[in-house]
Formats: sequence, C-alpha cells, structure tokens
Amino acid sequence: MIDSLCDQGGEEDVAVAAFYCDFLSQEEQTINNVIGAILKQLVGRGGVAKGLREAFQKAKREVGGRGPRLADLMGMLRTAIASLPQVFICVDALDECLPRCLPALLECLRDIGRESPSTRIFLTGRPHVKEDIQRCFTKMVVIPINPNTDDIRNYVETRLDRDADPEAMTTDLRADIVRVILEKISDMCVGPFRISTPLVMHAYQLCHVDSSLFRSISALF
Amino acid sequence: MRWLSPLEPNNRHQGVRTDRFDGVGDWLLETGEFREWRGGEGETDMAVLFCSGNPGVGKTYLR
Repeated sequence: MIDSLCDQGGEEDVAVAAFYCDFLSQEEQTINNVIGAILKQLVGRGGVAKGLREAFQKAKREVGGRGPRLADLMGMLRTAIASLPQVFICVDALDECLPRCLPALLECLRDIGRESPSTRIFLTGRPHVKEDIQRCFTKMVVIPINPNTDDIRNYVETRLDRDADPEAMTTDLRADIVRVILEKISDMCVGPFRISTPLVMHAYQLCHVDSSLFRSISALF
Repeated sequence: MRWLSPLEPNNRHQGVRTDRFDGVGDWLLETGEFREWRGGEGETDMAVLFCSGNPGVGKTYLR
C-alpha cells in the first residue's frame, strides 16, 4: 500500500508515513512511540527540524533527560503535516495495538484528520476493531478483505516455484497441492499468509494420498 | 531522531516488501472506494479507509 501510494504520487509531493502494530512488541509500542515513529517519517521533509531541535534541547536540560511528551509530539506532527501538500498515514494491524493505547491512537489520528482534512488515513485490522475505529471516524470507508482465490493461487504457485526440490514435483502433484490448499482455506476463513502446520496436517488427512504430497505441502510453509 | 521514538517502522516495511507477492491485493487499487479515498479533496468524511479482514488474509501485504 505504502509503495503504491508513493508510486501513484508521481510528480506530486506526497509524504507517506506508516506504522505496523505488532503483538510481539506491544509493550514498546506506546502511544508516544507510535506517534513519534510517524513523526520521524515526516520531519526532515518540512520545516519541523528547528522546533524539534528546540524541544530536544529543552528536554535534555531536564533532570536525566526525558522522552518527548505526547502534546509536544502532536504539535510537531501538526506542523510537519501542515508543511506538506499531501500526507498519507498508514497504520497496519490495529487489533495488535495495545488495548489501552488504541483509543488514544485513534483520537490522535482523528485530531490530525480534523485539522488537516487533506490527510488521508489508511488503517487495517481484524473485523473486531471496526467498532473502536468507528467511534472516532463515524463516516469511514470500510473495505472487507477476503481471501481471494486468485491471490491464494498466485501465492501457492509462487511458493511452489521456489521449491527447493523441484525434481520431486509432477504436474499432478502440483495440481493436488493447489486444490487441497484452496479447499482448506475456503473452509477455514483464514488467508494464505496464515497457513500453519495444523492446516498442513489437515490438508494431508483430507487428501489421503501418498506421503510425497504431504512432504511437498509441508516444505512450502 | 531516536529521541522521538525508538521504533523503526521502516525496517518492518522493508521486510514486508521483500516477502510480498506481485499482484496480491492489486484489485483493491481498482475499487471505487480506494480511488475516491485516494483522490478525495478536503472531504473529511472520506479521510479514513479501513481494510478489515481475518488473520492472514493479506491485509499487511496489500500493495
């Protein structure tokens, strides 16, 4: 998405800031760190550098130095956005954001959107965070992403092309693997990027064929 | 810059870019919703686009 926005920007001066929420780094991904990370990607392009230096120097003088306050970060972010013609902010996997941080993060994004209506905000997450997001953005556009057969086929075929043991592959085996995975995925309502070992075991039991198919499927994931 | 945030989302972005498969999610770029959102001029209503989906459907890997 980020790359598409940058590419489509073409001649225009488009700034894209992105953040990936991650379950495994939740503790680190505090609201200040997330806003700071977005800000980091937008400064240096506009005239925020001076304000940033001043805020940093001031904070350094305080006992032991301290991290930037959220209000400071938001102020700098507003300045940065105001200095740019078009800003896109992308935040991935909001469901993986620390639950106590999510409302604050959404409020920050809402405030930015209000002050700078040209800013475009792109969010992704599992369906259950939709209500949280809607509380802040009542009129947002929602696009459901479903496992798309073409995408899955494309993904599985590409993985098969990268098979470390291509000699073992036959046309029939290849067709079986694609078929089994497609069947299994449509049953389970999960996407191709989440194919796990239990799913591979399942796929194997489902097709009752020789062990070469199992080995091939296992090798893929 | 580290003072602003110790997090480095660009590293993650590089990883996603490497693992991405060509063509995955291209359909999204063609939707009316996306185009309107992308080109929307100053309409706050259209400022936010939310892609919702189950685990592993490829939300992160939309291109």
